Amino acid sequence: MHAVFAIARTTIGEAIRRRVLLVILLIALLLLVVAPGMNVLTARQSQTVLTSLILGVLQLSSAVIAIVLTVYMLPNEVERRTIYTILSKPVLRWQFLLGKYLGAVGALGLMMAMMTGTMILVFALVQRGASTDLLTGLARVPIMFFVQMCLLAAVAVFFSTFVQPVVNFFLSGGVYLVGTVFGSLFSTISENQNLPMVAKIGSNLIMWLVPNFAQYNVQNSVINQGSVIVSEQVYYAQMVIYGIVYISILLLAGMLIFDRREV
Amino acid sequence: MNLAIETKKLVKTYKGRGGSGITVVDNLDLEVGAGEIFGFLGPNGAGKTTTIKILLGIIAATSGEAYVLGGEAGDIEVHRRLSYLPEKPYYYEYMTGLELMRFYASLFKIKDEAKCIELLRRVNLGNDFNRPISQYSKGMQQRVGLAQSLLNDPELLFLDEPTGGLDPIAHIEIRDLILQFREEGKTVFISSHELSDVERICDRVAIINKGQIVAQGRLEHLLAGGRVEITADGVDQAMHDALMAPERVVSLKSGRLILDIADTDDVNSILDSLRTKQCKVQSIIPRRKRLEDLFIEAVGADDVAKGRERGRMTEKGEAVAVTETKEEENV
Ligand SMILES: Nc1ncnc2c1ncn2[C@@H]1O[C@H](COP(=O)(O)OP(=O)(O)O)[C@@H](O)[C@H]1O
Ligand SMILES: [Mg+2]
Repeated sequence: MHAVFAIARTTIGEAIRRRVLLVILLIALLLLVVAPGMNVLTARQSQTVLTSLILGVLQLSSAVIAIVLTVYMLPNEVERRTIYTILSKPVLRWQFLLGKYLGAVGALGLMMAMMTGTMILVFALVQRGASTDLLTGLARVPIMFFVQMCLLAAVAVFFSTFVQPVVNFFLSGGVYLVGTVFGSLFSTISENQNLPMVAKIGSNLIMWLVPNFAQYNVQNSVINQGSVIVSEQVYYAQMVIYGIVYISILLLAGMLIFDRREV
Repeated sequence: MNLAIETKKLVKTYKGRGGSGITVVDNLDLEVGAGEIFGFLGPNGAGKTTTIKILLGIIAATSGEAYVLGGEAGDIEVHRRLSYLPEKPYYYEYMTGLELMRFYASLFKIKDEAKCIELLRRVNLGNDFNRPISQYSKGMQQRVGLAQSLLNDPELLFLDEPTGGLDPIAHIEIRDLILQFREEGKTVFISSHELSDVERICDRVAIINKGQIVAQGRLEHLLAGGRVEITADGVDQAMHDALMAPERVVSLKSGRLILDIADTDDVNSILDSLRTKQCKVQSIIPRRKRLEDLFIEAVGADDVAKGRERGRMTEKGEAVAVTETKEEENV
């Protein structure tokens, strides 16, 4: 485990210095700061619109960071031959891959914490009357987002063991979109009685294969004060467990592929 | 002999387009004794790096056997006792030299700050280890690479083109370090296409071309059999024709003869016949065989020519150019 953490630490150090990521982070922070200033709606409306807007910014930029962070991770190591020195030490390939993944997730966590902090601070300053309920909600939702992004990072790391970065970018991005936005579309297809069997089996297969990213989108409970998640803590715990299981499967599969691959 | 590296009929074939395979390492039989400085020579694309990667278990051989320090190539326990300096390495540039050493040390679970610093001093980075590697020159990067390769006090070092792309001074620094390793009894496996370095430090060499070993042995044996160059004036065509023989290079222009023969050839009788014909012998220059000659011999002169035409294999081209200029100096 020593080697795994050493590699993870190095990966974080590298990630937080990558210009592309810093630019994305900067843009996200800027949006989070500027958004509350666009105060054209009535107080009640504006709070709803604003929370959904800033949480959307947070989620989208986290997803972009998660993908950009991971798709180039392994190819870069190979291209720059840094992986060779590491693998010539007593380090097994799975340890290397795990270290890389943990590093990516660590860097992601840092960046998301920064965004979340900024978001809450600015929100509290602009919306003086915001309830503490709302503020803790704003702190809680990103935790689920983080689990979601860890899952997304695992998807990208899995793909990166056998496809090129650009392909991976679209693959992982596609999986994320299918798992969040189009999830309901596929469930409609599989429930529709009039469609042919093939389409139903196909969409069932997709729903079964693609991680259920949508279940981490818990922002509605904060945006619409009315809607609540029943037994919230249990739900969150379940989501974390689902994430860990799915991530483990993806990483194990990635390790098996990476172990056989020529680098 | 106690072997540090042994390969038996090692083969590596990459899948080419359309299912055809490219054999990059072809039936390689290598034996490197413990404590030897072993030169692994060959032009670019000969398969040197591929062989090293197989020996480290970074890639798998298609067939054949490879043993390193008594274990199978790639054995993780064996990796504790060896180290590897890749070709044109890159290190995490944001780190300082010392941070890089700490990182590699942690992969061995070594938490010895003093050792890291001591090794950096040893490679003359004592004043620079707190600077980021992005500010290092190529030579310094190579030296920090050597420092990290010494962290585990390895018995066996793989150095892939350790002097590639370095200026002459950096060359010498690296060479001196390798000579120190030799005194410490380490086995060093150096791959290179730069012959001049290897010539002075290696105990034994293998020359590889297109994946096959074309010559292998102790340097002094391989370099045995020099040439002698005889120059004479006032030579006629009949004399020229009489001197023609295999293994001789005879050239005549406006009465001046240049004769290049093996030192095992009968120099005396050639001189006698020249003198009987009243020719004036201008010079007799013995030339020890250089590694360059051996290299070109082994790799094949026509190969060099072909490579030039295609604009590939520039290193071999360079080797030839060097030989030519040196010959001119000799004349
Ligand atoms: N992954 C690969 N796939 C296909 N061919 C490769 C691969 N790696 C190396 N080669 C080819 O193998 C040959 C030997 O390469 P290499 O071992 O790097 O040579 P050297 O180190 O002696 O310059 C080259 O022709 C190179 O193009
Ligand atoms: Mg090479």
